[in-house]
Amino acid sequence: MRIFPILVLAAMLFFWLRNRRRAAKLAREAAVAGADLLPPERQNTDRAAADPEADAMNAALAQGTWEPAARALAAAGTDWERRSCLVGAAAARAVEDDTWLQAWRAAHPDDPDAAVIHATAKVWVAWEIRGGRWAEDTTAEQFAGFHRVLREAREDFERAASLARPEDPTPYLLQIPLYMGLGAPHDALHELWAEVTSRAPYHYEAHWRALNYWYAKWHGSEELSRDFAARAAATAPPGSLLTMFPLLNWYETHDDKAPAEAYGWPEVTALVDAALADVAAARPDHPRLAEVRHLLAYFLTKAGRHEAALIQFRLVDGHVGAVPWSHYKNPAKVFCAYRDKALKGALGAGRS
Amino acid sequence: MGTSLRALRALVLLAGFYLLALVVLGVFVGVDVAAWMRAPAVAAIKITAVTVVLGLPVLKGVFALGASKGGEEHGLPVTEGRQPELWRAVRSLAERSGTRAPDEIVLTGDVNAAVSEDTRMLGLLPGRRRLYLGVPLLTGLTEPQLHAVVAHELGHYGNADTRVAGITRRGRDAVQRTVEAFQEREQRAVEDERSRQERAAAKRLRKGKKPRKVNTGGAGFGYRMTAKPFQAYARFYLRATHSVGRQQELAADLLAVRVAGRDATASALRATAALDAAHDHYMERYATLGVPAGVLPPHGEVFGGLRHLLADPHRQADLAELRGELPPDELSPYDSHPPVAERVRLIEELPDDGMAAAPARPALELLRDPERVLVELEGAVLTPEALALERVEWPELTHRAVHTLVQKAAQPLRSAISEAGLAAGLAADDLNALLDAADAGRLWQVAGHLPKSPEAAQATGRAAREFLRPALEAGVTRLAELALVERAGARWELSWSAPARLVLPGAGDVDVADALAAAVRSAVADLPDTLPLRTLLTD
Repeated sequence: MRIFPILVLAAMLFFWLRNRRRAAKLAREAAVAGADLLPPERQNTDRAAADPEADAMNAALAQGTWEPAARALAAAGTDWERRSCLVGAAAARAVEDDTWLQAWRAAHPDDPDAAVIHATAKVWVAWEIRGGRWAEDTTAEQFAGFHRVLREAREDFERAASLARPEDPTPYLLQIPLYMGLGAPHDALHELWAEVTSRAPYHYEAHWRALNYWYAKWHGSEELSRDFAARAAATAPPGSLLTMFPLLNWYETHDDKAPAEAYGWPEVTALVDAALADVAAARPDHPRLAEVRHLLAYFLTKAGRHEAALIQFRLVDGHVGAVPWSHYKNPAKVFCAYRDKALKGALGAGRS
Repeated sequence: MGTSLRALRALVLLAGFYLLALVVLGVFVGVDVAAWMRAPAVAAIKITAVTVVLGLPVLKGVFALGASKGGEEHGLPVTEGRQPELWRAVRSLAERSGTRAPDEIVLTGDVNAAVSEDTRMLGLLPGRRRLYLGVPLLTGLTEPQLHAVVAHELGHYGNADTRVAGITRRGRDAVQRTVEAFQEREQRAVEDERSRQERAAAKRLRKGKKPRKVNTGGAGFGYRMTAKPFQAYARFYLRATHSVGRQQELAADLLAVRVAGRDATASALRATAALDAAHDHYMERYATLGVPAGVLPPHGEVFGGLRHLLADPHRQADLAELRGELPPDELSPYDSHPPVAERVRLIEELPDDGMAAAPARPALELLRDPERVLVELEGAVLTPEALALERVEWPELTHRAVHTLVQKAAQPLRSAISEAGLAAGLAADDLNALLDAADAGRLWQVAGHLPKSPEAAQATGRAAREFLRPALEAGVTRLAELALVERAGARWELSWSAPARLVLPGAGDVDVADALAAAVRSAVADLPDTLPLRTLLTD
């Protein structure tokens, strides 16, 4: 009988050693299988995917040269997805310093590209003044500046819209954050939305910005944002990537409080599968394709679908400027942690 | 509750106050006796001194010692010989209200009428009565309206009303007086302690030592503690007599209706509410506007100037609107007055008494030689510092006052300009230097020297600029106004219906504000254009 405790100890030691060996082996295998994956310090946190044209544009803007931006926008032409993407990238630069934009507007006072960049940047300057805190932690000075600059931006957008091509949705869809900031009533947003969708019914960024307006924390409710996203996904043709929004809405509304297993629930799985099909059908140069893959990779990892997750991770590795990672203080670290979890999970699944 | 029951309750409440005072004083005496029996003489003397100091306010409250001194308002007493018509009116009102006429009439500088009485013997015996009448009230009300207001006040002491209300009111006065006496002493103690510590700190500083922080937490502690039971009783008393207080107000209103008529009483309440707002505005924007510049309006105009404001057609329209909609007062548990809106409603619901408010002369005409009264009132209610100020006519006062305010408002920008190394001297030179900097693309470098909030200081890029833009725009506008005064002899013009406007000589009645605002906006725009402002200043 005395030998019994010793047997138990020996068994424990055996299993512990075996687990350790297996973990070490898995780590070795993962290192081999993931040799092509980049460490956190080599992840680009500014973008969701590589975009050499935008990089070149930004580099030129940093030098105060606006011509490459004008060329890139001219090249985008009527690709409205690409156009709003480039306008956003240029406007982001103009929030810090708009000397180049002033030079551009002085040289070409009626340029529609410069006009819409100017108006968009104005709205973002306003949000910068307001800051991201709750209303009670925002000072009267901040609110006064926020509203004053937004009111100016409204005039700038009127001008941008009058200069733009009649079929261009950009000066309308980029006004949605302005409506959100000024607390425009639902009717007003519906009117603006009609201007957008009559020009581009399935525009990805337009839906992203409108979904923000419909969130309960802004001017909608859980029901309104869910319905908006569901309707968009249901009516859009495959490949337009609007299946992103039910997923995004679920993430924004439930991620904080949902239990881990919620990601495996049938309704969530259905949203993920719809987005996977959409991604497969999308044109490969869709400017927002990588954004959807980032969120899909997160949902698939959470649901334990590691192999499917790893496919998405491999397609976007190297750039982490996307939801959900951008919500964290260190996006690259969080991205790599989830990616490595998917990698190990995929290897483990392959063996058993 | 019947009258006798209410009388009983009022007496019990009043008796409770005296009982409380006796208990507190008894405790003090007990402590003293114990100290003399048990403690060494030095400690006993100290303890006795403390209890005497703390007990004084209690005695003061009970016997109303010096109450007439503490409760007296600043004002100008007017004798019957000097103002026979006013006295005649008040006597007649007292008679019709069934009460004794006041022994004194005191004119004051606010929109208020009140009656006070120095009661004696535990507040149960009547004393000297004083009627306080605000001259602004005389200015803004008609004669029948003033009758209604005075009748209401006299009604509080009327025998025709109820004796109970009188007792309740006296009781409330006594309780409040005690609490106030404590607060006064506590404050004085704290202030004495502060100045003592400040003197000590200054002395330490002179000796080259680090000064101690001023801390007055301990001073007045004894007063605070002794006051506590009285404050609690005051709260209880006020709440318990609240409904009586309300009934008393409504009863006084009914008396005023009987004496002065329904319409005059209701319109007096409406007019007083509107007049109060107008008077506040007048005092802030007109009468004391020149104080920072060291000037007051001419003798008699500090209170008399309200007449100009009330005579202005624009203001009359505003006042008519104010009289139309009465603000719903917030109810405080200590306030014995029901909301004015409710009082007006109750009065206006009464049947027509045939005393419709006919056009009547202003109440101020009850006074003999009102101009002299207005001058004397200033002497009675203004502080010596205010009386020492220079007196100038209204137009001159307006210009000098606004000029001083604008100079002050332009100061942050002028400091910023000088910190940026561009200081020039005159406002016009400062402005030129700033406009040159704007043309050279250095406007925001200069603006960066303006005072910033923590949020503004943290902002970068264009957001930082936008934080500064309102202050910059305002500063440039003020600076341009000063330059227009320097260069073109522009002056701020008095208006009884609107804020003062800057007017250029020879430009007639043209306001420069709009042109100036547009020029300033383009001068501080992201792509600055200083030409409109430069043109405006040189033309």
